[in-house]
Amino acid sequence: MNKVIFASSIAFLIAGCAGQGQQVAEVEQRDIFEESQSQAELERAEAQKQAQIQREQEELRRQLEEQQRRQEMAERPAGIDEPVIRPLPDESLGGSQTQQDDPWLQFSEPGSLLAERSIYYDFDRYDIKEEFVPIIEAHANFLLANPELRIKVEGNCDDRGSREYNLALGQRRAESVKRAMTLLGVEEDRIETVSFGAERPVAFGQDEASWSQNRRSDIVYFDQP
Amino acid sequence: MRSLIIVKTCILFQLLLIGSLPAHAQLTIDVIGGGASQIPITVVPLGKEQRYEQKISEIVSADLRRSGLFRLGSLGSKRPFPTQAKEVDYGYWRSEGAQNLVIGDVVARPGGKVEVRFRMFDVSSRQQELGFSFLVDVRELRATAHKISDLIYEKLTGDAGVFSTKICYVVKRNKTFELQIADADGYNPQVVHRYDEPIISPQWSPDGTRVAYVSFEKRKAIIYVLNVFDGRRTVLADFSGSNSAPAWSPDGKRLAVTLTKDGVSQLYLINADGRGVRRLTYSQSIDTEPNFSPDGRYLLFTSDRAGSPQIYRMRVDGRGEPRRMTFEGRYNVTARHSADGKSFVFIHRNQGRFNVAIQDIATRQVQILTAGRLDQSPTFAPNGKMILYASEIKGRGILAAVSSDGRVKQRITAQDGDIREPAWGPLMNNRRKESLE
Repeated sequence: MNKVIFASSIAFLIAGCAGQGQQVAEVEQRDIFEESQSQAELERAEAQKQAQIQREQEELRRQLEEQQRRQEMAERPAGIDEPVIRPLPDESLGGSQTQQDDPWLQFSEPGSLLAERSIYYDFDRYDIKEEFVPIIEAHANFLLANPELRIKVEGNCDDRGSREYNLALGQRRAESVKRAMTLLGVEEDRIETVSFGAERPVAFGQDEASWSQNRRSDIVYFDQP
Repeated sequence: MRSLIIVKTCILFQLLLIGSLPAHAQLTIDVIGGGASQIPITVVPLGKEQRYEQKISEIVSADLRRSGLFRLGSLGSKRPFPTQAKEVDYGYWRSEGAQNLVIGDVVARPGGKVEVRFRMFDVSSRQQELGFSFLVDVRELRATAHKISDLIYEKLTGDAGVFSTKICYVVKRNKTFELQIADADGYNPQVVHRYDEPIISPQWSPDGTRVAYVSFEKRKAIIYVLNVFDGRRTVLADFSGSNSAPAWSPDGKRLAVTLTKDGVSQLYLINADGRGVRRLTYSQSIDTEPNFSPDGRYLLFTSDRAGSPQIYRMRVDGRGEPRRMTFEGRYNVTARHSADGKSFVFIHRNQGRFNVAIQDIATRQVQILTAGRLDQSPTFAPNGKMILYASEIKGRGILAAVSSDGRVKQRITAQDGDIREPAWGPLMNNRRKESLE
């Protein structure tokens, strides 16, 4: 069952990249409007929408570059190294100047999804819930735009059940984030995974409010100042 | 009169835990409940035992009472207490309701040694049931008392006594984790490893000389093996990814472990020196928490291959498909074989509670033994009669024990900190017996 849901969430991820991003963003905005959320929430939705557009453009570019690369590979004479091709950040959108100067500034921009570094799970599950897909996408895009950066994904669990099973489950949680990011184009060797099982709780109560905070994957940037 | 047997004891742990630090606090054990039919026993103070700090009769009485299988009889009003066979007034002890009577004395010997002599009589038949003499260092009096308890327990129940065994566990105090080893009654706790990162899954080698455990001190799970005699520590498994869930084979030559070096958590065999790693399971699912059967041919382990964690059983030689063992509920983890290999304990989730359950391997009959909210890490006593496990009271980690029939319950608490991840050590066959004229 876990696998089925995981597979479908990946399918969702891929579909999101292939052009349904617009629709997803609209649905999210409407939900937020109906719930009369704060201005900050609306801004966040707008930022998500912008990120979606950016993502789509980047995906298109990536595909084109891939196509071009394949053509060049076919034409290249023997003995010439394979060219290194990386996608560039979209500079037509606002904030590109700061992004170029110091990519970490994006982390503190109001409404930035990059400020969110945790993915939360249900008990004994490691599939990524839909609400956390935009966070993973935002970080994947950030990694694609900053090819020198590397991350570590740390899987964690609540402290119920078995410590050893939780250690294995935390590994699966971290791996699921890595897998989603690699499907979005991030190179596998730029994402390290580690599990702390139930050993590094952030909340210490014996109730669902605490447990739900401890069932998470944390995205940690190696070089973040 | 039957001949006495002299027993030279070798209390290795107490004297040889080199480099270990004294623990902050003694552990406290409370007994809750008792066996269905308790064996009556009367242990009178041993002659001259009052001269020593460790009072043999008190330690023996506490051991037997704690097992839940004995009812300690009245000491009566007649003084002085008998210390030799010829001083026993059987009619009087019978009138006091005594059935099994333990007497003896403690005699100072040259070179800081003491001789502890004890006998047990059947009051009805006036027959001697046990008679032993121990010539020991005065510092070994407490350990000697546990050996006397073992002999009495074995004589009257037919099962091996576990009063001389050790337990290992983890104490978390603020951000510090300590691996501790203590006597089975919670005395003499010694810190054998201390670090500011988590420690989990300690497991005794079958000969009781080493403990394998998992430490996060390098910011990831690595398995170490600690020699508890000389304090030397070696790395057992430090492959890419997580290295965890060590389980010793019965011959102590290799361990089953969980590694993620090839992706998802899978089972591997590894020699006790860390060489010769060999993959055991090939699934796309979590396979972890291996535990050898006493004959070394099978492994029980936890796998989520059917969508929820369940207990499976496989052959160590890898032949055939693993067989699913648990079917009740959607969360069954941490299986541990009993000493006779006929049953196993595990953690079963039932209506949001996590409890220790026992399952018969042949009949698949399951009995839930505990009623805590978050019980974890069950470990059998080496005689299979008690199960030690981690539990909690008001969010604080404690150890608890339950008899394998669920009747007797004990609670073990540290004075401060969370106590967790218990592992009950093996029987130590370190007694050398010699006949005495």
